[in-house]
Amino acid sequence: MADVTLYHWEPNANSGKPMLALMEKGVAFDSHYIDMLNFDQHKPEYLAINPQGTIPAMTHGSLVLVESTAIMEYVNDAFDGPNLMPANAQDRLRIRWWMKFMDQWLAPSFSMFGWKFFVGPNALKAHGQEKIEEQISRIPLPERQTAWRKAVFGLFSEAEMAESGRRISVGIRMLEEELDKREWLASDSYSLADVNGFNLAYAMPLSQPHLANDDLTPNIMRWLRAIYRRPATRDCWKLGRTPMASRVEILEQDYIPPRDESEGISSGVR
Amino acid sequence: MSKILYHGEPAGPSLTVLAALAESGVEVECRPINLLAGERHMLPDITDSVALDMGVEGEGPVLVIDGEAMTESVFIAQYFDEMGQGNLQPKDAYKHWEMLMWCRRVTERGAPAAAFLKCQSYAYPTLAGMNDADFASLTAAIKSDDLRTRWMDVRKGNFPEEQVADSRSKIISLAEMSDTALADGRDWLMGDFSIADLVTYPWLCPDLVPEAFNGKPALHGWMARMAARPGMTAAQKRGALANPEECWAPGPEINRWG
Repeated sequence: MADVTLYHWEPNANSGKPMLALMEKGVAFDSHYIDMLNFDQHKPEYLAINPQGTIPAMTHGSLVLVESTAIMEYVNDAFDGPNLMPANAQDRLRIRWWMKFMDQWLAPSFSMFGWKFFVGPNALKAHGQEKIEEQISRIPLPERQTAWRKAVFGLFSEAEMAESGRRISVGIRMLEEELDKREWLASDSYSLADVNGFNLAYAMPLSQPHLANDDLTPNIMRWLRAIYRRPATRDCWKLGRTPMASRVEILEQDYIPPRDESEGISSGVR
Repeated sequence: MSKILYHGEPAGPSLTVLAALAESGVEVECRPINLLAGERHMLPDITDSVALDMGVEGEGPVLVIDGEAMTESVFIAQYFDEMGQGNLQPKDAYKHWEMLMWCRRVTERGAPAAAFLKCQSYAYPTLAGMNDADFASLTAAIKSDDLRTRWMDVRKGNFPEEQVADSRSKIISLAEMSDTALADGRDWLMGDFSIADLVTYPWLCPDLVPEAFNGKPALHGWMARMAARPGMTAAQKRGALANPEECWAPGPEINRWG
């Protein structure tokens, strides 16, 4: 049994961040899959580890850690292996800026689409209305209860969805411009910002085919393919159990042309 | 290497960064700007402005390194510490994680609430009193649509009661969380003095939510120690006005997911 256990859902968004960071560092860990759509994260055995009921969580010996980006910084600090934060302090500041920008501004907009079109409907279909109310009422964090209610019962307003759509479009443009400045997202070496960004962006050519493709965003496509080629990324995405993880295979195509917005699949789930 | 720190009066994120700068011993040219006049969006000689334009923090300080604008007060404080004496962040990886989690809780929950209440009390009268043409030229310089919307909401006095109540409760939670952390008699939030102290102090609002501080002697003691910190007194000297705690411009947004 390894000294490290990671409790995670699919290799995607918040769960995928510490998964990929651990694999890049070469840290052996026990993988404990939490089925989010089955509300495993609110069951007593998981709440005993993370009382807030959020995924992912990691244990290292007797220590318990939560919040995906902060876990990644811990993983990079606590273990040997390649350094995923460069030595230059200005680079580290830029990396932290991009991670916060993605975590708090851009990713919540992606996830609003993912929750509205994928998480909510699938959870409702699996459990039925009555049982799902009961499940939601057991969620420890009030703001997560709100999020689940909105997703399951289709309560995101048109204005909220429009604002999320606007942010996705602005964010993709910003990523493209930033990746025109250097090889990796926020520094000249592969870093936690790339691990974070890949988890946010890998499926964009499928979910936003009108915004992210080889004609419009060549730098984003170059960057996504470079990360996809890394052995750690391949190993990480093998831990997926649903079709969501297999979306990453789009990056095997050498050329992805622009397609209409209506052809996008709306499952950029976190 | 050219480094210029543009900062507002020593309040909110500008106070965090000015105090971290003084504690770190790093030498940087400091230039005060009037955040509520929109001067942050009119800085000269910026060659890379993405962090200035799109930072989550809103109207916080801007560190310009060789033309690149860098923002977010927690990360600038970390930068100063890493360039300086390196004694503002725990060395142990787990304790460092605890500090990051603390700072994130403060900046994600406390900071939007504090900025909302402070803008209602102190920024609203100024912005409401501006003439239309001046306000239009100020907001035209703001690149982020959502930050510009927050400015317009302040000018209109758009402070829904529900958000006022929620913001007050978040300040009360922040005060309770801090008081609990100090309950074992420690001097500083993380044990040793750290960026967590520098990040928390400026977002507490004893002027606007005094009830949050009732019956919390540990918190009072900590606030007195903070006020006496060399970094804090050095930061206060950078202010030009008598009441810097009343100088605010729009800050981070309140979480869109509720």
